[in-house]
Amino acid sequence: MSIFVGFFIIFFLTFYIWHQAESVSIGYKTKDLEENIERLKGDIEQLETKKASLLSLDRVEQMAKQELRMVIPSEEQLIYEKSDEDIRQQNR
Amino acid sequence: MKNSRRRRTKRRIIILVVFCIMWLGVLVLRLVQLQVVYAKQYRSKVFDQNQNIIEVIPKRGTIFDRNGTILARSMPSPSVFYRSSQGEPIRSQMDKINKIATLCGLSEEKLKNIQSKIEKKSPFIYIKRKIDPDKAELIMSLKLNGIFLEQENKRFYPQGKLASHLIGKVDMDNSGQSGVELKYNSVLLGDKGKRLIHKDAHRRDYQHEIIEQPIPGKDLILTIDETIQYIVESELSKAVTTRGADWGIVIVSHPGTGEILALANYPDFDLNNPPSEIEIWGKIKAIHDVFDPGSTFKIVTASAALESGKVSFSDEFDCSQTLQRGRKTFRDHEEFETLSFPDVIIHSSNIGTIQIGERIGEQNLYDMIRTYGYGKKTGVDLPAEASGILNPTKKWTSISLASISIGYEISVTAIQMLQAINVIANRGIATRPMIVKNIVLNQEKNQKQPSEYRRVITEDIATQLIDVFQQVTEVGTGTAAHIDGYNAAGKTGTSQKFDPNIGGYSSSAHTALFVGFAPVEAPLFSMVVVIDNPKGQYYGGQVAAPVFHEIGKKIFRYLRIPPKPVPQKKIITADNRRTQDQ
Repeated sequence: MSIFVGFFIIFFLTFYIWHQAESVSIGYKTKDLEENIERLKGDIEQLETKKASLLSLDRVEQMAKQELRMVIPSEEQLIYEKSDEDIRQQNR
Repeated sequence: MKNSRRRRTKRRIIILVVFCIMWLGVLVLRLVQLQVVYAKQYRSKVFDQNQNIIEVIPKRGTIFDRNGTILARSMPSPSVFYRSSQGEPIRSQMDKINKIATLCGLSEEKLKNIQSKIEKKSPFIYIKRKIDPDKAELIMSLKLNGIFLEQENKRFYPQGKLASHLIGKVDMDNSGQSGVELKYNSVLLGDKGKRLIHKDAHRRDYQHEIIEQPIPGKDLILTIDETIQYIVESELSKAVTTRGADWGIVIVSHPGTGEILALANYPDFDLNNPPSEIEIWGKIKAIHDVFDPGSTFKIVTASAALESGKVSFSDEFDCSQTLQRGRKTFRDHEEFETLSFPDVIIHSSNIGTIQIGERIGEQNLYDMIRTYGYGKKTGVDLPAEASGILNPTKKWTSISLASISIGYEISVTAIQMLQAINVIANRGIATRPMIVKNIVLNQEKNQKQPSEYRRVITEDIATQLIDVFQQVTEVGTGTAAHIDGYNAAGKTGTSQKFDPNIGGYSSSAHTALFVGFAPVEAPLFSMVVVIDNPKGQYYGGQVAAPVFHEIGKKIFRYLRIPPKPVPQKKIITADNRRTQDQ
């Protein structure tokens, strides 16, 4: 009986220590994963914002004028697209 | 012999048992001391070593333009902090700080500040907030005990200078300091949460537990259109620079709804690198600074004239002589003879307008000014709006009626002028200007209250006045505002600036103004242009009206609204004359 009780106590203590160690280990892993998720979310937002920054009108105009040597068209060079409604009215 | 050995053994056992009992007694006493007597003290000590509760700062909401372009967003940015260890010598703790001082760019003063905090045993010390993520990684690779990173958010403005005064800036703690960031700070900020951190023997965090969930800030969708804002800022900066002016304001709105499509002050600033001087970033001139509206105020005088029935369209006024009121002589910018009521407005005659004002009378004019919304805030959702200056009639002097009729002795803001021109554009109905279209949380839009509408003048009178103000851009003082292929209406204005040194109006410093809208048939935009203290030419028709023209033309292009074809003049040649004769 006493041997059985002794084994039970040793088993219980071993399980308790293993459980505690495993909890701490899982805690570390969860924290790492949570940090990873947050980092990835941050990366997505960073990329979206970088895209907005790269497409800022000031930058686009600078590049168009300086690198691509584009110029603003004059009134005579402008052709306005007709809307679907205009085309429908014309066909009637 | 046997008995004596047994007795000795028994005595030894008793001594051993007594010793064990005494030892257990000591242990029990010590346990009582630890668990009962000093329990509170040790519990807090253990808690300090093993757990930590920190505030979780919610992510500040994003600001978008009306088409979903990001104008301001909070981005993750690490902050380096130090958790001081009890018992460790201060010198050894400072050694660790000194190792990262260069990477963090710490000054001698900052280092002294950190040392004094360590000496005072502060448990949490910021070393450097919101640093470059690459530098943060380098710091962590040094694996210094007690040095940690905290993930914070830093405000980033992808469009840089665009709408800088309007959007406004935040401080180090992400709290709004100006513009929309300040006005909607509580909406954007969200609610702080709390996080319990469990630490191991090496004071490393091994478990994070949110004990109070943070509520993220709500996103804002502004009424601003990024492209129109860009057009406005480009043209305004060009006008202020080429005219050598001190500053300028342009506001563009949709008259029907009161939604502001663009609001620009020049000089502007880069939101990602704002200047330290509060005078540069702290106020939105368009709603805060006041000035005399000059002839643009004739919109109100003309409205009061027709609304009171004291003047009719066919009435004529002798504008050939100067007018003496009190000690002040009023004159026109050019010589006129007799002008009809519409011509007085079209050619912006001060002499004619003063005569109209005198027919209206003080009380009728004052009532109309108040009905238009002058002398009180428009209610635009931006911080620090000024009411302007409008004295009650009992404070008016012998020259006040004449002065106010032509836009002096009254101070207004640019946003009030916009509200006034919107009354004409809306056929007599005033709208409250607004800047935030929607407030969004988790993609659920919370539609803001629509603008308030109130009638200021009758539709008939407004329609008559639209014809007059259209003539201003076609044959009057505002021809530089005319846009080929579109019908625009507006009013020019030039006011002398008040000089506090001489206690009167300056003869050399002016404010050039233009208010208008287009197209006349169904207005898509209304606009106010203010150019302060231009050098050389200074009339509103010469300085401000061309800005309206340039911006208006580009807005029509952007909105893909083609100009109406100009009727071609028939050229008669010898050939077709022969055909016609036949």
